[in-house]
Amino acid sequence: MVKRSEKAKTMRKLIKAIWIFSWFNSCGFCELVPLVGSRWDMERFGMIIVGTPRHADVLFIAGYQTLKSIKRAKIIYEQMAEPKVVIALGSCTMTGGMYWDSYNTIKRLEDYLPVTLYIPGCPPRPEAVFEACGKIFEHVKELK
Amino acid sequence: MINEMEPAPKGTDYDLYFGPAHPGSGNFGVKLKIDGEIVVSARADPGYLHRGFEKLMEYRTPIQNAVLSDRLCVLEPLNWNLVHAEAVDELMDIDVPERAKYIRVIMAELSRIQSHIIWYGVFSMGTGFDTGFKMAFGFRDYILDLFELITGGRVYPAGYICPGGVRRDFPNGARDKILKVLDKMNEMIILEELENPTLDARAKGVGVLKVKDAIRLGATGPVLRGSGMKTDVRKDEPYEIYDKLDFEVPVRKDGDAYARYWIGIEEMKQSIKIVKQALKELPKGEVIDSAWKKPKLTVKMPEDEVYVRNEVARGEAAVYMVSAGGSEPYRCKIRGPDFLHMIPVLEYLLKGVQIADVPAIYWSLNICPADMDR
Amino acid sequence: MDTKETEILGEIKSKFKVDGRIRRKQRMWISTDKNKLMEVCNWLKDRGFIHLSAISVTDWLDEGMYELTYHLWSYDDNILVTVKTKIDRDNPAINSVEPIWAENAQIHERELHELFGVKFKDNSDLSPLFLEDQEDMHPFRKDFDWREHVREKYYNKENERETVYYD
Repeated sequence: MVKRSEKAKTMRKLIKAIWIFSWFNSCGFCELVPLVGSRWDMERFGMIIVGTPRHADVLFIAGYQTLKSIKRAKIIYEQMAEPKVVIALGSCTMTGGMYWDSYNTIKRLEDYLPVTLYIPGCPPRPEAVFEACGKIFEHVKELK
Repeated sequence: MINEMEPAPKGTDYDLYFGPAHPGSGNFGVKLKIDGEIVVSARADPGYLHRGFEKLMEYRTPIQNAVLSDRLCVLEPLNWNLVHAEAVDELMDIDVPERAKYIRVIMAELSRIQSHIIWYGVFSMGTGFDTGFKMAFGFRDYILDLFELITGGRVYPAGYICPGGVRRDFPNGARDKILKVLDKMNEMIILEELENPTLDARAKGVGVLKVKDAIRLGATGPVLRGSGMKTDVRKDEPYEIYDKLDFEVPVRKDGDAYARYWIGIEEMKQSIKIVKQALKELPKGEVIDSAWKKPKLTVKMPEDEVYVRNEVARGEAAVYMVSAGGSEPYRCKIRGPDFLHMIPVLEYLLKGVQIADVPAIYWSLNICPADMDR
Repeated sequence: MDTKETEILGEIKSKFKVDGRIRRKQRMWISTDKNKLMEVCNWLKDRGFIHLSAISVTDWLDEGMYELTYHLWSYDDNILVTVKTKIDRDNPAINSVEPIWAENAQIHERELHELFGVKFKDNSDLSPLFLEDQEDMHPFRKDFDWREHVREKYYNKENERETVYYD
């Protein structure tokens, strides 16, 4: 029997189909919405968009966040139930991106929320988003 | 029997925030005061996407601004690229070659078709017709593949329409692919036009805006044409080569949500007609002014000021650029159509309607919050 | 040849004391004094300029003045007229044009009050629009350098990978 920490045990309960909360704020959402359409159909992988954070497993932060909207994102993160994962899309979450010298955007998402995965690109392609969702399960298996 | 009963007692009044994390609202919040089932007043709450574009442009040269100008409105990037490039062309007196003007018009009209497909998709989602949403986003991908072939990016073309012309010429085979994609768009329009009883019941007679109110509140574009005024910037002050092309401007007198939806479909048909004409008459030649072929890091702009107006898919867009002799613009004011549609027009239209009609009115105005906050 | 633009410019010059020029067809620029602004705007609205396209403020730091520009469009004649005035930078105040162009002017002035600090008398609502809890900041003024502000507040001098931002 392998000994695992409490956190690893809860994360293994992440069932194979992940449900996404619809916090579509900023540029990156224009490449998340085609995932619902008929070309990059995401329902065949079991992913759907839900309307309340209590049902969701994954919070996608799809780009830059302003000082006004990061406060709302924090409230949403606290309302989600364990196990939960935050995925950061785009280059604005890593270094500030194209708006690095703006007075109203945040520069590094790590200072505000715990991030599990980063996806680079401006904006990243839909195939990259699918690959990232697959990598969550490898990450969960490696947790000790 | 039910007609002789007393009506239900009046409900208490309460506040409702139709907010940013709602699947039916986008990145924008509206505070509603409700009494029973009727909305008494509405107040808009913008600012979730404010980056301060106008001052960001003061720190960058015109070539860098051409890349930044795609992100003004994420749903129609090539149209905003064109407004900014025209402002710099007029300020610095640049001669744009003929072939570049035709290519600019073709790309702008394809972007307009793509934006109206999104409008159709989210309007269907808001009124409960979910198949329309999935179908619309499926057909839109044909145009995004075309953008990737010509400009290099699916959504953001990285400054393809730059001051002086366009960045590079059409590759081989692009012309036949454009004609095939236009046939697919015709198929989509035939599917959209089938009479749908859900849409009729939810959209006819809802959200009526009369002409005098529309002009007073500052509405432009399809919202103003849906109320009965025949005006279009492409006909009133033609820019690029629109004075040589033959197209019509659809107008409807009712002013309700169904009239605006109908105008969106008609404008798609006219855009397909414009692209076919422009492809047939495309002349040969250079695509960029020879002085701007190699991107220059420092340019000297003469001291002057210009005001350029264009018709983007949502209404009238304008750029006011002032230069004081340096290599960056001194002040660049951007006027977007959604700033007026989302605050005065929405607050006026939402007074006195039932809660169930709020999404239909909201999505029929074709909003883009990124354009409002800048 | 008498075009519509020269006709309108002639009428304005005969009624008020303004500087005007015609830059190209369909574009006219007029400069006037701030006390005469309301009369000129009322006359232009009656003449057919019913659509207010935009109001903007340019900050001339060296002269110490703010320059206000009002861009008006007429649907009958298809001409754009821009009216420019100058006001003092340290205490900027001017009459609002809300009585003339209603909600369209009110929302433009509300945005300019927040970003530049201009006080418009008789405007019905000057509460903050885009920013929360950041009153009196007025971010678009020329003496507020954004790159210095961002370097102090967000980047970290101790971290050696970020020293490149401090060159």
